[in-house]
Amino acid sequence: MSQGNVYSVKNLKKIYHTGEVKTQALSGVNLDIHQGEFTAIAGPSGSGKSTLLHLMGALDEPSEGEVWLNSTRIDNLNKVDSAQLRLWNIGFVFQAYNLIPVLTALENAAFVLELRGLSKKEREAKALEALKALDMAEYADRKPNQLSGGQQQRVAVARALAADPRIILADEPTANLDSKTGHALIDHMLRLNKEQGITFVFSTHDPRLLEHVSRLVQLEDGQIVSDEVLQLA
Amino acid sequence: MLTLAWRNLWRQRRRSLVTAGAVGVVVFLSIWYYSIGGASVNSLYQNLTETTGHIQVHVPNYRDLREFQTLLIRNEQSVRERVNATVNQGEVVGVLEVSALLSGEDRSRGIVLVGQDWPEQIRRRFVDQNLSAGRFLEADELSGIVLGESLARALKVGLGDEVYAYAPGTDGYGAAAYTVIGLLDLLDANIEARSAYISLPAAQELAAPDAVTRFEVHFPEIRRVDEDQGVQLISADLKAALPDYSVESWRDLDPTLVQMLEILGPMMNIVNVIFFVLAGLLVVNTVYLGLMERIHEFGVIISLGASGRKVMGMITLESVLLCITGAAVGAVSGLALVARLAQGFTFPGLQEYYASFGMNPILYASITPQQVFFSVGFAIATGILAALWPASVASRLEPVEAMRFTA
Ligand SMILES: Nc1ncnc2c1ncn2[C@@H]1O[C@H](COP(=O)(O)OP(=O)(O)OP(=O)(O)O)[C@@H](O)[C@H]1O
Ligand SMILES: [Mg+2]
Repeated sequence: MSQGNVYSVKNLKKIYHTGEVKTQALSGVNLDIHQGEFTAIAGPSGSGKSTLLHLMGALDEPSEGEVWLNSTRIDNLNKVDSAQLRLWNIGFVFQAYNLIPVLTALENAAFVLELRGLSKKEREAKALEALKALDMAEYADRKPNQLSGGQQQRVAVARALAADPRIILADEPTANLDSKTGHALIDHMLRLNKEQGITFVFSTHDPRLLEHVSRLVQLEDGQIVSDEVLQLA
Repeated sequence: MLTLAWRNLWRQRRRSLVTAGAVGVVVFLSIWYYSIGGASVNSLYQNLTETTGHIQVHVPNYRDLREFQTLLIRNEQSVRERVNATVNQGEVVGVLEVSALLSGEDRSRGIVLVGQDWPEQIRRRFVDQNLSAGRFLEADELSGIVLGESLARALKVGLGDEVYAYAPGTDGYGAAAYTVIGLLDLLDANIEARSAYISLPAAQELAAPDAVTRFEVHFPEIRRVDEDQGVQLISADLKAALPDYSVESWRDLDPTLVQMLEILGPMMNIVNVIFFVLAGLLVVNTVYLGLMERIHEFGVIISLGASGRKVMGMITLESVLLCITGAAVGAVSGLALVARLAQGFTFPGLQEYYASFGMNPILYASITPQQVFFSVGFAIATGILAALWPASVASRLEPVEAMRFTA
């Protein structure tokens, strides 16, 4: 593993079993992610983007292969250690948002910090800042079911950002945003990437986002079909 | 974690109410059920002990004696004092039963005239339940008589009429005239046709000065079979204190009832098991389903970095809070109901049925602290156990699986 690797994914395979049916979602993915990269994973629907991000986020167990994060193997951690890893090291934005229904936008954005044990004042200050950056401050007191899909998506992003992780894994973070909010989110993520060196890996179909990435990984049928480092304008 | 749990409960008041409500209903029903079940068994006990007393004192071998004279406890005062000395709570009632011919204007009947003391509490209950017209006897009233309605009809007499009693061959006057002052409507028609009450002094004047045929010891406070041990102890004491008399507890007086109560015990236990299985299912179902639909939410929390154990703790805490609140409300309202029913209640429609067995249709609900404790403990324990299963499912699954989980 070379210096500066944040992630090292080796021969990663994932087979889902639904009753008799087996679905091979990933069939041998190898991928190194370097410190400070802004990487997009693109590919058609069902190509395994979410699966790959879940495995990188220690949210599921691979069928085969290894995932290393900062020279620690994380694919075979026990439940407690993987929870700790998710809590302290990785920010994850779900494709399905996965906000907690009983909590307001502000409380959702503050939730990871709450789990970390921050006081209400501290965590809500940080969460509010994250919501502001995404132009969501005025919806702070709304519950998820009172928000549009795009608004929920931005709360989900704010939840990951508020926790100040060094790595953010985001599953189609701009999928439901109009061009204005989409651009705002992209700008914000780029700024965090440049100014704070936060490593981003996200899946996307969004050409607006693809314009700005420093690296584009194409996934098809659970395999990487191209991996290019792009020169940014 | 407490704040998490509390917030979940408070923000989902409806859901919380349903769960706490199920626990509350189960506690309420258990308490109600226990108190009614207890009431039915105890009413047998009360019916018997109200009519016979808990303990009776007779002359020895009284069952084999036929002669009125030989049945008499002659020195009433001194024996009464000896009984009183041993039995310090309870009411000692002297009874003098006199076989007599009772005549109206032109009809007569052979009956047993009962002269007895009426301690206030016993008198009040007797009057409330049975007196249908007129008034009841005063303690030392010499010329009043209270008759069963059907006896009065047989004698063709009514309130204010004179009746004549003949008790020849006794130690008293042997004959007396009484005025009918009250009528009784008794549950058992046969007994009603034979019932005639006068005061103890009146009976003594008629047939046996300073004598009674038995003493009854009543413990009006003891209304439950399971409080009966005390009676048995006092009965034993009394046996020792009165070796020259026959002392019997209600158990000796009515062995059939004792047997019946002994069969009822295990029967109640079987019904109890069925009842609590059903009640438990209600709690399990509500708690379990309420949590299964939240497994996705628990998966989210775990995926954000909460440990499975923390989520387990949160769910358990939520359940504990809900169950305790529900159980408390259920227990308070259940006990309030029992307190009301303890004053006496009837099963609508079953009055006749009870009466046909010569039983008092008025039941008195009662419950022991152990039963309350069990009802509450059972509901809480079931609720918490039912919560642990979904909690462990959530914490066992990979976060992604938990978030996809559908019950
Ligand atoms: N839990 C699961 N059980 C069974 N099959 C699954 C499961 N999750 C994903 N799959 C299958 O695995 C394959 C990859 O799914 P994945 O969600 O990773 O695709 P994706 O690239 O994220 O698609 P999209 O762009 O639509 O989000 C698909 O064929 C999908 O049907
Ligand atoms: Mg996906």
